[in-house]
Amino acid sequence: MGTRALRGLAATRPVEVFTSPDGTPHAVMQDGRRRLVVAVRDAWRVQDRWWTDEPVDRSYFDVIIEPGRPALIFRERVGEWFTHA
Amino acid sequence: MIVTALIPLFPLRIALIEARMAWDDPVALGPVPGAPQVIGPCTPSAWAQGVRPGLRVGEALARCPGLDLVVPAPDAARAAAERVTLRLEDLGAAVEPGADGESWAFEGDGLVRMHGGVDPLLRRARAALPVGAGGRIGVAPTPFASREAARAGVVIHHHDEARDFLAPLPAARLPLPRKSHEALSQLGIRTMGQVAALPHASVLDRLGPDGARAREMARGEDPVRIAPRVPPQAMNEEVSFAESIGALPALEAALRILIARISERARDRGGSVRAIVMRARLEDGGSWTRAVALREATTDSRRIGIASLPHLAEIAAPVTSLAVEADAGGPPDAGQMAMVHTPDEERMRRAGAALAQVRAAPGAAAVLRLVEMEPWSRLPERTWALGPYEA
Repeated sequence: MGTRALRGLAATRPVEVFTSPDGTPHAVMQDGRRRLVVAVRDAWRVQDRWWTDEPVDRSYFDVIIEPGRPALIFRERVGEWFTHA
Repeated sequence: MIVTALIPLFPLRIALIEARMAWDDPVALGPVPGAPQVIGPCTPSAWAQGVRPGLRVGEALARCPGLDLVVPAPDAARAAAERVTLRLEDLGAAVEPGADGESWAFEGDGLVRMHGGVDPLLRRARAALPVGAGGRIGVAPTPFASREAARAGVVIHHHDEARDFLAPLPAARLPLPRKSHEALSQLGIRTMGQVAALPHASVLDRLGPDGARAREMARGEDPVRIAPRVPPQAMNEEVSFAESIGALPALEAALRILIARISERARDRGGSVRAIVMRARLEDGGSWTRAVALREATTDSRRIGIASLPHLAEIAAPVTSLAVEADAGGPPDAGQMAMVHTPDEERMRRAGAALAQVRAAPGAAAVLRLVEMEPWSRLPERTWALGPYEA
């Protein structure tokens, strides 16, 4: 996309996440390394755009991963994990 | 000899095609989003069941419970009308498109020899109209009589014939203010023939200059000639959105981008912009269009923006694509230079110079504007966007 058009911020991109048996994130692949989740600061669910052909149903997790970096990741209803660029 | 091509209810026909609905069904043009809840033109089937343009939606549905309302498509209708205009201009005609979007008139005298006679000319004019749209061609010595002739699809050569043709037609079709029509009705004047027979001084006294002109029209002597359009040097810029946008700031940002491109193209062509037409396709399948005439021709995107941006608030539904159409027909280097700059203008000028220097090496992407897309959204990727910064 060139500089003469609108370019969305915080675009979503897939991320590999390892989960605990209860479904919460346990580790996240970042920069080619597996980094453990040291804390889940917050978790919430977003259901939006249900009136369109592409409804959104996400489970967000605001986590801290090794070595102390914050990250915002979410799981789509189908089970795939994403983060915001 | 004025030739008029007429496609009755053309905007309604286009809206039906867009909505894939049938002409035979009882259908009417629904209200434009945000406008009063009255219906527009309707199909003959709806008309037969008592539906009339201007009725409130509730009353129209009460009269015709099977009535379907179709979303107006002014954008598509305008594009279709432009195609008809271009095809008629291809015949060599200087065409005046009607303000109603369903008629086109041109002076035919100069074309008769070129096309080998009146009949070949009319045949080619008829062929320029869309197939199956119910288009008709009429010929008469004056524009008004020509339009009426087009309704009937007849050819009238002389003023006397025009007067005889118009005489039995209802006086209500004369272009007069409502009060004048009421006055004619109270006087028991029902036909154009009766209007034509009135003494000039009496009409002028009772109905004023408009009435006198209407009398001349009814007599087939209308002195007004058609005013053909100047073929435009059209410029189009369009942006489509991956997801529909309803937030005004985002639409404004998109429009600024389009206006900047249009201004640049007008400058490149050595012209300037006199007017722009904004078009938007809406998520619900309809469209929105707005023409903005500028006070003076310019290539200053900021001034074009001041005139056009406020109209975006009229859009009543999320937008899937936004387009700007303009004509570079203005004089080059339009716009008067100011003798004294205000402090704001001076600050903007300096900021613009600084911006140009910052961009000189890394390019236009070095400075961008942060645009609110949907600040209320809970989805981060729909909240903000980066757009070009125009100083």
